[in-house]
Amino acid sequence: MTDQLVMGPDTGPSTPAAPDREAAARRTARGRRWRRTAVLALGWVAIYAVWEATSWWFGSRLLPRPHEVLQSAIEIIETGNFVGDFSASVLKTFAGFGVAALVGAPIGYAMGRSRYWRAFFHDGVTIAGTIPAIVYAVMSLIVFGLSNLGPILAVALVSAPYVALNVAEGIRGVDNQLITMSEAFGRTPRQIRREVLVPTIVPFVFAAIRMCFAVAWKVEALTEVFGGRSGVGFQIRTEYQLYDISAVLAWMVLFIAFMLVIERLVLAKAESRLLAWRPEERGAAL
Amino acid sequence: MAVLTVTNLSKTFNLGTARESRILDDISFEVSGQTFVSIVGPSGCGKSTLLNIISGVEEHTSGDITLTSDAGGPARMGYVFQDPRLLPWRSVMKNMMYVQDDQSRDTVARAERYLDMVGLKKNADFYPGQLSGGMQQRVGIARAFAVEPDLLLMDEPFSHLDAITARGLREQLQDIWAQSKKTVVFVTHDVVEAVELSDRIIVLQPGGLIYEDITIDLPRPRRQSDKAVATLQADVLARLETLKAMAAAEPVAEPVA
Repeated sequence: MTDQLVMGPDTGPSTPAAPDREAAARRTARGRRWRRTAVLALGWVAIYAVWEATSWWFGSRLLPRPHEVLQSAIEIIETGNFVGDFSASVLKTFAGFGVAALVGAPIGYAMGRSRYWRAFFHDGVTIAGTIPAIVYAVMSLIVFGLSNLGPILAVALVSAPYVALNVAEGIRGVDNQLITMSEAFGRTPRQIRREVLVPTIVPFVFAAIRMCFAVAWKVEALTEVFGGRSGVGFQIRTEYQLYDISAVLAWMVLFIAFMLVIERLVLAKAESRLLAWRPEERGAAL
Repeated sequence: MAVLTVTNLSKTFNLGTARESRILDDISFEVSGQTFVSIVGPSGCGKSTLLNIISGVEEHTSGDITLTSDAGGPARMGYVFQDPRLLPWRSVMKNMMYVQDDQSRDTVARAERYLDMVGLKKNADFYPGQLSGGMQQRVGIARAFAVEPDLLLMDEPFSHLDAITARGLREQLQDIWAQSKKTVVFVTHDVVEAVELSDRIIVLQPGGLIYEDITIDLPRPRRQSDKAVATLQADVLARLETLKAMAAAEPVAEPVA
């Protein structure tokens, strides 16, 4: 990789000044990209090295070595219940989001539109957002016991305050000039809501979803560890009870990889599609 | 026939103290159909307030405003603002259609026709963020004309543009107006611009009174380079010199919207 990092001297024929500068700019851009990739790779090598060293120090019974975990992960994928457990976890996470959006968005809307609703909800929502996720996980289990509803409720409770606060912020940031324009042209309140207010809050809702997502799937898995009948968390508990640490770690690694893929591909793609009108999104898309 | 009749219109702002601020003081005028009327005056003379009252965005204290529609029924109004005020998340064409009451094929064709008149037909699918400020304002102008308003209100639509862009847009506005002959009330602080565009100029003075009502009878299309236009511009400017002195002596704060 290092030989690709080093740029050889330009041996080509000399070109006029402007294209030369352009080519040079392209070269530095390419060089930057390579350097970034190299540093990224170095980071992974470091993680690997620390993991290897630690498991050598404690012994691989306590902390399995990376290749053992990889082996377990492959086994998990091959045995087939992997798809079922993953989709169970993902569905529960998204169901929780759905509930959070249904509850949080109207509250946020009211908070953004009226001072009174803002005063009414503000402290409650803030407190709800401050309560540690584990408290929600435990509470949901107490309420719903060993059912799928526990993790869903936990995710909803963790996410709803974020959704509400972000939507409120979005509504408060609405461009009043667009509202007066709409009124001057005789648009109805319904049209104004649909064409001005909702598009205004979409970026804020996405910010909320992405922010929550980072927390939500951890809460979901955690709730399953305590009391689930399916899903990644449930599998982690099962393997833990069998004292198969490399399987525990394998599930964890797979889960992280999967959630990162969802975050990067699904959420980020949906966001750039919905927000295509924003100049910075277009820049990113091109 | 008069499209707009303003009778004894007054507007006062209560400043929260015993003192109240008089923005418009017993103003009366008529605007007949198919004319281009400019309202000029120094900053704070109430010209934007007058426009807001006519459009119904702002309340007035006393007096009457009557709008009549050629077709009968409620009068339709179009509005061009200082800023383009386009929905950034909708394409140019969707912005044009947003202010239309029906989405029929005829209406779409009409919107396209006006977009073509401002030279932006090929940009119909662009987002406003992909257009320059001048192009966005052209969409704003096309949008207002495309609702086929009985009365078209324009509030200093060129004041945020650079001089060259503004000149181009003034010429384009004249062309569209010549083709559509809408009744326009155009607010500006720029007398030169008003002379170039209008059939008639109503000059407001500080305190919200009509200072002068000037009829401009020059052939169209008028261009900045026309000698007759330049002469009249200089003439009107000279006549308003005293008004400038008045405004300087008695500064009236522009009300904060």
